[in-house]
Amino acid sequence: MPVLNGKELRIVGFLCNWCSYGGADTAGVARAGQPTDLRIIRVPCSGRIDPLFIVKALLNGADGVLVSGCHPRDCHYSAGNYYARRRLEVLKQFLPVLGIDDRRFEYTWVSASEGQRWQHVVTTFTDRIHKLGPAPRLEDAEPLLKIADMALTSLRPLGTGQNAALDDLKAAIKAKLPELDCVIGWQQGYDAAHTVPLFMRTPEDVDKLVWGPFNVNNPATYLPSFKGKKVGVVVKGCDSRSVVELLQENLIKREDVTIFAMPCQGTLDMARVNQELGRYSAIDSVSYDEAGVTIVADGKEHRFCMNDYAQGKCYGCTTPSAVLADTRLGVPEAVQPGAFTPPELAMLDAMSLEERLGFWKGQMERCLRCYACRNACPMCVCRDYCIAESREPQWMTQEATAKEKLFFQTIHAMHLAGRCTGCGECQRACPVGIPILALRQQIARAVAQLFDAYKPGLDPEAVPPLLGYELEEKNIHEREWK
Amino acid sequence: MRIGVFICHCGSNIGGTVDCARVAELARAFPDVAYATDLMYSCAEPGQAAIEAAIHEHKLDGVVVASCTPRMHEPTFRRTVERAGLNRYMFEMANIREHVSWIGKDKEANTNKAAELVQIAVEKLRRDKPLTAKSFDINKRVLIIGGGVAGIQAALDCADGGVPVVLVEREATIGGKMAKLDKTFPTVDCSACILGPKMVDVAQHPNITLYAYSEVEDISGYVGNFTVKIRKRPTYVDWSKCTGCGACTEKCPSKKTPDAFNEFTGPTTAINIAFPQAIPKKAVINAEHCRQLVKGKCGVCAKVCPTGAINYEMQEEIITEEVGCIVAATGYDLMDWTVYEEYGGGRYPDVITSLQYERLLSASGPTEGHILRPSDGKEPRNVVFIQCVGSRDRSIGRPYCSGFCCMYTAKQAVLTKDHIPDSQSYVFYMDVRAPGKMYDEFTRRAIEEYGTEYIRGRVSKIYPDGNGRLVVRGVDTLMGEQVEILADLVVLAVGVEASKGSPQLAEKLRISYDSYGFFMESHVKLKPVETNTAGVFLAGVCQGVKDIPASVSQGSAAAAKVLALFARDKLENDPQIAAVDVKRCVACGKCIRCCPFGAIKEVEFRGEVKAQVIETVCQGCGVCTSTCPQGAIQLAHATDNQILAEVNALCQC
Repeated sequence: MPVLNGKELRIVGFLCNWCSYGGADTAGVARAGQPTDLRIIRVPCSGRIDPLFIVKALLNGADGVLVSGCHPRDCHYSAGNYYARRRLEVLKQFLPVLGIDDRRFEYTWVSASEGQRWQHVVTTFTDRIHKLGPAPRLEDAEPLLKIADMALTSLRPLGTGQNAALDDLKAAIKAKLPELDCVIGWQQGYDAAHTVPLFMRTPEDVDKLVWGPFNVNNPATYLPSFKGKKVGVVVKGCDSRSVVELLQENLIKREDVTIFAMPCQGTLDMARVNQELGRYSAIDSVSYDEAGVTIVADGKEHRFCMNDYAQGKCYGCTTPSAVLADTRLGVPEAVQPGAFTPPELAMLDAMSLEERLGFWKGQMERCLRCYACRNACPMCVCRDYCIAESREPQWMTQEATAKEKLFFQTIHAMHLAGRCTGCGECQRACPVGIPILALRQQIARAVAQLFDAYKPGLDPEAVPPLLGYELEEKNIHEREWK
Repeated sequence: MRIGVFICHCGSNIGGTVDCARVAELARAFPDVAYATDLMYSCAEPGQAAIEAAIHEHKLDGVVVASCTPRMHEPTFRRTVERAGLNRYMFEMANIREHVSWIGKDKEANTNKAAELVQIAVEKLRRDKPLTAKSFDINKRVLIIGGGVAGIQAALDCADGGVPVVLVEREATIGGKMAKLDKTFPTVDCSACILGPKMVDVAQHPNITLYAYSEVEDISGYVGNFTVKIRKRPTYVDWSKCTGCGACTEKCPSKKTPDAFNEFTGPTTAINIAFPQAIPKKAVINAEHCRQLVKGKCGVCAKVCPTGAINYEMQEEIITEEVGCIVAATGYDLMDWTVYEEYGGGRYPDVITSLQYERLLSASGPTEGHILRPSDGKEPRNVVFIQCVGSRDRSIGRPYCSGFCCMYTAKQAVLTKDHIPDSQSYVFYMDVRAPGKMYDEFTRRAIEEYGTEYIRGRVSKIYPDGNGRLVVRGVDTLMGEQVEILADLVVLAVGVEASKGSPQLAEKLRISYDSYGFFMESHVKLKPVETNTAGVFLAGVCQGVKDIPASVSQGSAAAAKVLALFARDKLENDPQIAAVDVKRCVACGKCIRCCPFGAIKEVEFRGEVKAQVIETVCQGCGVCTSTCPQGAIQLAHATDNQILAEVNALCQC
């Protein structure tokens, strides 16, 4: 239904039944006049509000979204609003990376007796939205396809890992193999410049194991499908965080998994490597030195220095060696911990909101909706029951618009909040090379800032921040309504 | 579906600023709407009859009423559609009064907004499914937490109604704060004389099981079927043998034990019976001051006890009780007034709390009812009462009025004059709040008959004059001048706060509490003893400040709620709860972790672990639904699809 032309903007409210809906009633009973823009959707509890409802509304044309629940401690369901507070705050910090002004979304607490406060909140928020004006629409955004070069500096020297104790690793795997159904690793793919996953069941299989900068796949992705079986997995540091996260979520059992770890010196960004190689018919040779790889393709030599061609995640990697392992070989390089913004995210940070919206418009128009990002993600455990394709519930249509595709990316990112280890499989698997990891990185940054520098995948016993709460949140403060 | 839409004028309440006929006309274009009309008063009998008739005539299978807030009439209309043969949950409301007509004056905007609210209600209704409540058995026993006057009243009323009562009291005796009072206002009758018989009734009632010196450790379950773990602290005296003869207290050598019952106005013995009318009248050893327990040698009480009840090896004990509902009556404590440096911050012995003064007035207190100053044991001449110490004071975060201080101060002034006829009482007050029956008359008597001098103003400083008296300097705002009074004794009307440990108990009970620790009632006016957790009721000051008559009334009210609940043999759950789609569930356990009620458990389903909702425990908040990434757990009547449909109806580009 069209909004009254010129008079109103589209503002959607989600109110908990017990406090804020009652507060809005109280305001009505007191005849406390308010702007008419707001449409209220009544939900049982602010904890019922999936942040994705809000994104849905904003992507579909809402100019503002207002959420209100019971004051902390007053939740009718005792704790629903504590969960809501964390999730909504993460959402608020996430929205700008999409190119949505976070002032268009606000959440607050209004009790059933606070009619005046409700009047004030509605009036202030409606004024704010009118000052911001109609929200820019993804449909109308000018696609921005040019991407600035990412700034690439690493926290530690990157290398090719050719001194790694591969033979010792093979021996260790062979020794354990009789107890295991399978050990997951990497083998050479269709040429020496590519690897594919290796499932080792016999000692001969183990001899195929390779180690080096082409080992880009995250073998942890396969673990949940082996649930109930004894399985080994060879991991890089980043892969091990996915294993920890799977353990934390009860999707694999510690006693079923044997972890073999070697320190990693970085892996190549195959999208950029392939771009540099261009079209070729055969790889003639691949030779390694400490700092990089030289690939000769169709007689032409290409040099890939690790410091220039590593995956974005490798530059800020602080876990070159596994955080959890049964068998460790080799000693990792020391890492100088420091502030680090992943290059994909830094690129978006440098854009204006308008540019970001245009950026995603342009990028999402290229998206094939193949779901490779999801299928490669080790934390996407819904698999066949992903809500992207279900009718019950039906979060998305199958319409191939930038809006729906970006909404899917948001679903993925929000579902990974506090879970994503930044392994980058989504981005690596993307056949058209969209830097979608940036969305997950923004969520991870928000989670770390809000919850004591929490990093997923370090401690199998940790309580994931969005599945817990504090009565008083250290880093979440209610914004005042002035 | 065939949906009927009814737009209510509510007289001119809605019709005045919303074009109801136009809204009905617009509604006819919404999907599945088979019939739409406007009614003058839909909740009145003709309105409800019209809805019923339309359901039959147009073969409707769902109804939307656009009228006032669903918080008012949703139950009414659910019954209406049920009478017409529909499932009561095939009904939705659009709130076009409180959220539209009463807050906006622009008729065009209001009409448009009303139509949109109707549209989202229609979209929600299209995805509603008929729901049926399930019934389950009730365990007809009640747990009452706290044995003050409110808890005692609730316990006696429940027990008289034939309900077995489990009464848990943290202290060694029931009676609460009222047992410490000397007299009660406005009748100045003896507190122990009116409360004592009730306490004895508790002890003797066949339906009451009393656990004194015990605390609630853990509560699980739901209305009708709670399991409660009670921690019995060690008393070091076997109460089944103790006769309360007091021989041990006479001989106990640790005579400087602080006396909590007497508000630390005098010492007592390490083995002690709180006061002569204590229920249960049993001795308790204070482990921190008992020579046997601290130093390992003494054993005097064990030697003198005629029944051999002393047991120094006693350990704490956890007792499990099964009950069907719970009454919280945990009362209050006085706030820590020593934050007030201007009153000496606790340094002057002759500045005492009103509750300490009660113990000085009481015949069972440390001075046997003679008013004697703590510092030198002399009778005071000038007694200054200061009101609102920790009440109505935003500067220390206590903006609320403690309610009964004005009245007990008047009473204490009267009693002071009775005890010491040549004494003079002064009361510094902010306002005299005396709204109860015979209350204001009583205050007037304190002033007119007993010569109490009321000074409207605050005290800025109390300091010793060097001769054993205290200078109380304040302001008389009615006269507009400073006043100084030389006082022998200063009594502070210290503000009330929720009893210590209230927030922790609230968490166990899964009820809300405010920022001061008072438990939240379900509705401030209409449901003052209910909480938002079914089967948990409130009585007394734990819910908010109130005096004895109000506490007793609330105790009886809570008991009435318990008896009403237990009058039924079966309870029905609200079917608007969550359910797991086992196909989609991957058993990651996120919902189990987040559920505020512990209402989700893991079960084996065809060889796989799956989550399952315990239907009687689920309260329908939907936190699980917004937690589950694959949408495998859905809250009935607030499913993802329903909320998405509402969002989509509002936001269509």
